[in-house]
Amino acid sequence: MPEATARTRSKTRKPARNMYTPLPATVEKVIDESPTIKTIAMIPDEEFSFKTGEFIELTIPGIGEAPFTPSSSPLETKRMEVTVMKTGYVTEYIHRLKKGDRVGIRGPFGRGYPLEEMYGKEILILGGGCGFAPIRSLLYNLMAEKDKFRKVTLCYGSKTPEECIYKPFINELRSVEKFEVLRSVDKPDETWEEAVGVVTVLLDSIRVDIPNAVAVVCGPPVMMKFGTFKLLEMGFPENKIFLSMEKNMSCGLGKCGHCTMGKYFVCKDGPVFTYDEIKDQPDIWA
Amino acid sequence: MTKHYLISHENWDKVLNRAISKYLLYAPVIRENHQDYVLVEQEQDISHIIYNTAKPASPLKTFFLPVKENVVREPEGIPRIILGIPPCDLAGLEMLDTFYLEEPYVDPYYQDRRENTLLIGTDCFTAQEHCHCTTYGVSPAVEKYADIRLASHEGNMYLTVLTEKGEEFVREYMAGDAKETDESRMAPVREKSGQLKKELEERNSQLPGYERTGVLIRKSGEDIWEKYSADCVSCGACSSICPTCTCFLLIDRPEFEKIRSLDTCQHPAFERVAAGEDPLHSKAARFRNRYLCKYVWRPEKYNTLACTGCGRCIEACIGRINKNELFVELNT
Ligand SMILES: Cc1cc2nc3c(=O)[nH]c(=O)nc-3n(C[C@H](O)[C@H](O)[C@H](O)COP(=O)(O)OP(=O)(O)OC[C@H]3O[C@@H](n4cnc5c(N)ncnc54)[C@H](O)[C@@H]3O)c2cc1C
Ligand code: SF4
Ligand code: SF4
Ligand code: SF4
Ligand code: FES
Repeated sequence: MPEATARTRSKTRKPARNMYTPLPATVEKVIDESPTIKTIAMIPDEEFSFKTGEFIELTIPGIGEAPFTPSSSPLETKRMEVTVMKTGYVTEYIHRLKKGDRVGIRGPFGRGYPLEEMYGKEILILGGGCGFAPIRSLLYNLMAEKDKFRKVTLCYGSKTPEECIYKPFINELRSVEKFEVLRSVDKPDETWEEAVGVVTVLLDSIRVDIPNAVAVVCGPPVMMKFGTFKLLEMGFPENKIFLSMEKNMSCGLGKCGHCTMGKYFVCKDGPVFTYDEIKDQPDIWA
Repeated sequence: MTKHYLISHENWDKVLNRAISKYLLYAPVIRENHQDYVLVEQEQDISHIIYNTAKPASPLKTFFLPVKENVVREPEGIPRIILGIPPCDLAGLEMLDTFYLEEPYVDPYYQDRRENTLLIGTDCFTAQEHCHCTTYGVSPAVEKYADIRLASHEGNMYLTVLTEKGEEFVREYMAGDAKETDESRMAPVREKSGQLKKELEERNSQLPGYERTGVLIRKSGEDIWEKYSADCVSCGACSSICPTCTCFLLIDRPEFEKIRSLDTCQHPAFERVAAGEDPLHSKAARFRNRYLCKYVWRPEKYNTLACTGCGRCIEACIGRINKNELFVELNT
């Protein structure tokens, strides 16, 4: 039994950081990626490491928190980037951030991409919209370890050429041996020289050694759904398709219940799942 | 290591009076036909404590998960005794412990309260209208999760000490007053809860068991959920009052402070994502979700009971929705 008596409450002081307490960070730079997407570069007060595919909760003090998968390289621990699409209350405030503002980071949370399972394989990546954020971090990781993989093919789709993000990065990637980049847009303009249509059209034009390949899918729900179905049709086994699931989240650590997907908590059991793991759960695309 | 003790009611009251100088003591009393825990602060309040009645209005979880709390502060370490906990709520503690003490994210505030709280459970000798613990394998007699099991009978208190924490309390506060005895002396109180167990089994014989209910829910179509949720107003009372509902929302305050506020899947937009998709967009889907959680997902994932049969969600519902009527209908 503790010695303190009921009547002598210990004073409310700030504790050492616990799982609910954000690590403060300073905004270093804000990059406009598209009319609705910005990348926020931050310097955390302490070094912060994560594995590719794991996510953080980004706190805007007094406003709210939202989950994001860092889009920067997991090998960088002093600086982190998140790429954020403006969709609602918290992301609206994130878009107003400027250099020097203070934000908070909780995490890293969840189960990221299983790189070991990809060693020696060909990797097909299917991304759409802001789903490129986690994929960029994965690509940085793959570039750093490129001897361990046979080939990486990125198929990326967006609505318009204007909404294609990470232009300098794409150019850089195109010059790296073993990496191939294919892009499509739903609505082209006169400058667009690449494919037209939903992202799955790109899959018709590539050759993949399916028995020795894995697929990674990340993007808006509709794209994830049709992308997965297309991959299954092409012959990808259910346990070789890795999906980053998006659900409503609050705690990020398997307690608040908001991210329930059947028996799973997406924050803790995911966000990366194989199709095989989740196909029997309800509302996976909703 | 269970030990049994007998102590007169009068001396037990003295024990409690000594204990309140160190502990915050919460125990059930009746006020205006309403039975609930109160903070027992003075000697004269001790005689109002009631024993061995069915559950207090508040579930045990309210002592470990306040409706709102700042989760960016030092845990308080306040020693407490909660007296008069019914067996159903103790059974519910298994779910809460599994959840909030699971590695690697042990909740520091939950853990602090759990460690600093002595749990005194009481067997139920009477039941309320919607009690259905026995249907789900929970006995109206305290079997586990309490530090001390207590029953009051003809001027004496019958104690069974179940944990080291309970034993320490006995050594510190009851030495001299209590007589150690053996299980056979507990017979009169065991008989009372045994009798109630039979009554409850008979009364709820139509109600499908825990696993069976899970199977029925899985197989069910949408119609029955539409029908039963017609009068639901999404108030969330069923979850607030439920001893095993654990959901919350973190709310941000300036200076990186966070408030954990209890939440429920019955509230609209609980699962809505930014793109607008919401798997629980309809009232019927939310209503069904609650029972999928209780009878299918939680037991599948954690292998623990997620409905203790306390009946509080039935009593609390403003729309007078009775989940048990639904399950009986599903079963026929
Ligand atoms: C693992 C994961 C990784 C992600 N990675 C990225 C990424 O890299 N880039 C990206 O752009 N997006 C990403 N997202 C999506 C991103 O988290 C959402 O777009 C963001 O949460 C939207 O927040 P909002 O407040 O702007 O939107 P809103 O539409 O205002 O809110 C979204 C939902 O959160 C709830 N909510 C938000 N704030 C509150 C509050 N204060 N009180 C109560 N409920 C509230 C609402 O109920 C609503 O259902 C990711 C999501 C997940 C789950
Ligand atoms: S679901 Fe209802 S009966 Fe079951 S534990 Fe919760 S409040 Fe009690
Ligand atoms: S029933 Fe709903 S509120 Fe209760 S624990 Fe399950 S998801 Fe959370
Ligand atoms: S208590 Fe009744 S009305 Fe309120 S949310 Fe629950 S089922 Fe609906
Ligand atoms: S976000 Fe809280 S449980 Fe997953």
